[in-house]
Amino acid sequence: MMNRSDTPPGHAAPRRRTGLAAAALALVSALALALAGCQRAGADAAAPGAASTAAASGPVEITLMRFFGSCDARYGTSTDATKAVGECGILTSLVNRFNAEHQGRIVVKTQTAEWGPYYDQLTARLVAQDVPAISVMHESLIGDYVRRKLIEPLDDGFREVGIDVDDFTDHARRGVTYDGRTWAMPFDTWSWLWHFNMGLMKKAGLVQADGSPVLPRSPAELLAQARQFKAATGKPYFTWAAANEQSANTRTLLTLVFQQGGRIFSDDGRHLDLHTPEVKRALDLMKQLYDEGHIKPGTDYPGANQAFLNGDAGVLIVGTWTIDQYMKEARSGDSALRAGYHVTPFPQLFEKPAAFADGHAWVLMKGGTPDPRSRRAALEVLKFFYDHDLDWARTGHLPTRRSIAESAEFRALPYRAGLATITRDGVSVPSVVPTQRAVEALIGEDVSNLLVNDKPREQVLSTIEKRVNAALRRAHR
Amino acid sequence: MSTAALTPNPTAAEAGAPARSGFDRAVMALLVLLALLWMLPLLWVLALSFKPNEFLMGRTGVFLGGPYTLENYTDILGTSMVFRWLANSAGVALAQTAGVLVLSSLAGYGFARTEFPGRKLVFVLVMFGLAIPSQTLFIPLHRMFAHAGLQNTFAGLVLPGLAGPFGVYLMTQYFRAIPAELEEAAMLDNASRLKTFLFVILPLTLPAQATLAIFTFLGAWNDYLWPLVIATKPEMYTLTRGLASTQTNFAQSEGLGFLMAQAVFAGLPVLTVYLFFQKYLVSAVAGTGRR
Repeated sequence: MMNRSDTPPGHAAPRRRTGLAAAALALVSALALALAGCQRAGADAAAPGAASTAAASGPVEITLMRFFGSCDARYGTSTDATKAVGECGILTSLVNRFNAEHQGRIVVKTQTAEWGPYYDQLTARLVAQDVPAISVMHESLIGDYVRRKLIEPLDDGFREVGIDVDDFTDHARRGVTYDGRTWAMPFDTWSWLWHFNMGLMKKAGLVQADGSPVLPRSPAELLAQARQFKAATGKPYFTWAAANEQSANTRTLLTLVFQQGGRIFSDDGRHLDLHTPEVKRALDLMKQLYDEGHIKPGTDYPGANQAFLNGDAGVLIVGTWTIDQYMKEARSGDSALRAGYHVTPFPQLFEKPAAFADGHAWVLMKGGTPDPRSRRAALEVLKFFYDHDLDWARTGHLPTRRSIAESAEFRALPYRAGLATITRDGVSVPSVVPTQRAVEALIGEDVSNLLVNDKPREQVLSTIEKRVNAALRRAHR
Repeated sequence: MSTAALTPNPTAAEAGAPARSGFDRAVMALLVLLALLWMLPLLWVLALSFKPNEFLMGRTGVFLGGPYTLENYTDILGTSMVFRWLANSAGVALAQTAGVLVLSSLAGYGFARTEFPGRKLVFVLVMFGLAIPSQTLFIPLHRMFAHAGLQNTFAGLVLPGLAGPFGVYLMTQYFRAIPAELEEAAMLDNASRLKTFLFVILPLTLPAQATLAIFTFLGAWNDYLWPLVIATKPEMYTLTRGLASTQTNFAQSEGLGFLMAQAVFAGLPVLTVYLFFQKYLVSAVAGTGRR
């Protein structure tokens, strides 16, 4: 008979094995129970964050998912958007004011996500059926969400709360319309601008009598002015995020192509063709500027901003959102911009006035407002944003309402009168083109290779076409 | 044996000492230099965290010299949810650490000391887990958890981290290195398998447990990707996820000081863990290398 002492390690008696298994199970069960308890606590804590219909007597809760950062510490209690600064400050103040004005009836709960993985997180939420009521969205992506049936059409709702789509600017209207229907409340138009260091421009003799910069009207003039600038200042004319950043190169390329009346996508948005004279001319101009040393080499987004603020280049090409910051910098005594700052739309270098533009818009997510009461409340939030378009335009972004763009209040804001043309001339990639963020990155990556790494132009064109067309095919499956 | 035989030859020791100590000093100086070099980015982060964001838009190559501000830190502390996120992170990291220790110890003991059908095959499958990048499992894992209703729950945050093949491997190797005679002796004294495991074998694995605990805790604390998709309500954010959500769109340019302060703030608890457990951590890394 074998007793316990006969049992070698590794050949435990069944009873001992059972005891061990029971102990293991007990431990795992205890852990699972603890987790389940936590889960309930988590679910309880999470419940108020959902778009809820609440009790009929209580306020309707509307979840609003957005980027633009969080600034509770500074603007957590602010309700005066006119005194707030920056995208986060102004938007937080607007939401606070809405909540104050609708106390007891509607409460907007902001859910902030960082900009980089914003859409990945939105997708994760949709998969988990944790749908926000309202979400901010780039107009260039609205087509994707319409095709996937993830957002609500808004024409009827807009009529219901008094949002006049005829008052939308041309660019905004195009941006939120798909198949003849309106799918979002446009909040702003942002575009590609030229920001000038007027001290350096003066040194280069490129300032007009009225104090504004001399703008080039053709590629030849641009090259001549860039050479003149370099000879006078010893610095490159331009700085922009040419390396380690995809968007800037794509937007500049598209602007130059749009100004020639060129198109790169087929009508149905299923195919990209870059082998056109317009694209080649645009790329050749960018490459020549880079090779002749008129673009500060190897700078990414923060590097390009730094170069501009330190007076290492005359012109920074970047978006509308930096205007306030540069104006503030120009007022500072020790700034490289103290001799003057100016900003204009991307100058017309070819036959047509055009500049790449996109916009931020608010959408109602399908399933985020499950009943008429919450839907009505969400529409009231959109109406509130529509009414406060001017407050938001103080960020530097352009208004989406014609009446605001033409108003004295807006035009009285610094430089805005000159920028208002973008609300008409801004051009976007057609909304039938899917997955535009990925497309932008794929184009920009190889344009960067052309500029920074001397990849031959023909190879660049072929690589982009191959990669983008594969992405478009996948998106249309 | 005489006492003299045990005493080292003082002349030889004295003769050899200066040469060794000179070499040691040179090595030490080199190590200090490398350590300082390694610490430079951390010191840079610390220095930038005390500077205004507007100032940093134009100049980032600054260590010393003003202007200084505490605004970045007050902005973090003024974020209404920050202590909630801190508590969430602590809860998730501790639960994951406890879970991994329990499961890895049990699994490791099972693989090292028991025989059951398919043991080798199961062990190989577990080891496959080490070879598969976690990112490849990301989408199916999220769909599975979302389908189970675990979005925005502590269970959703904790459970995926419990499947730790590294922990199982580490503990298996550790259990294998413990002489079987110890176990046999305990069993001779009529100790059950559970008793032997809990009171004889498990205490011997404390260094490995400490190693595993530290690595698991740090991994869970620093995790950003999984909380990004499974915690989508601010109430359920962990600290890494929550702090990231407060960043402005171009934080690397327009909010650099705030970004650096966030890095310091999120790193402080980890640094505290390190200070308290550095003895275990150092021996853990050395031990893992030897093994």
